[in-house]
Amino acid sequence: MNRHLLIETQGPWAGRECASFVRDATTLAGGGHRTRLLLLQEGVLGAVPGVLPELEGYLAADGELLVDRYSVAQRGLKKEQLVPEARLVDMDEIAGSVLDPVVKVVWH
Amino acid sequence: MARGRGIPHTDVLVTLMGSPHGSDLFTSVLRLVEEMLRQDAAVQVWACGYATMLTQEGLGESKPRNLANWSGDYPSTLTVIRGLLAAHPGRLHWYGCRFCSDERGAVAHIPEVRLRAPSAFAENVAAADKTLFVGVL
Repeated sequence: MNRHLLIETQGPWAGRECASFVRDATTLAGGGHRTRLLLLQEGVLGAVPGVLPELEGYLAADGELLVDRYSVAQRGLKKEQLVPEARLVDMDEIAGSVLDPVVKVVWH
Repeated sequence: MARGRGIPHTDVLVTLMGSPHGSDLFTSVLRLVEEMLRQDAAVQVWACGYATMLTQEGLGESKPRNLANWSGDYPSTLTVIRGLLAAHPGRLHWYGCRFCSDERGAVAHIPEVRLRAPSAFAENVAAADKTLFVGVL
């Protein structure tokens, strides 16, 4: 089974693509693929409750939600302000996933 | 898969597109590349579009003075990239798209950057186990 890392950097206010990207992630997760969605840069704003409704479907499909700790701190956010399923990660874990040969990576 | 001619094999090829100051993109890529190198990976970066501006000699070693911190020294992107290349000889390679450079008049790259024609890009892809496209041209 393929594993996927989808990296969202644009965020929900940059246009419709962010929501579309999350729906793509939901399709992958719903298809039984191990899927990790990483919110990076402006993308982290999507982890604030209610901002990105598409996340509900993604999480319901057992997708894993990662949020870049650096980007969160840079925007003055705190973990408590994000959806409870969000797991803060650092670049070492992200790089390890990119280097993993079985992981397919898509950057948006 | 046949490897690219004259292009050292790397674990990852990062194709960096997009303008350097339009977002945090360059910061994210630097963070990612630095961490992959720390994990002993070999990495190549292909700068395309306005990302070719990152390694222009005209940038100098430091950014213009910060009025809020007059005596502070902030390294230019050129200095940061040069430092990374010097710290990881043989494991980090920085390429620039010749077409994108010429189109923007960005023709004075630091010598560590190897300019290549866009038609040669496939060889870089072939030399990498994984290719990651980052940003929009």
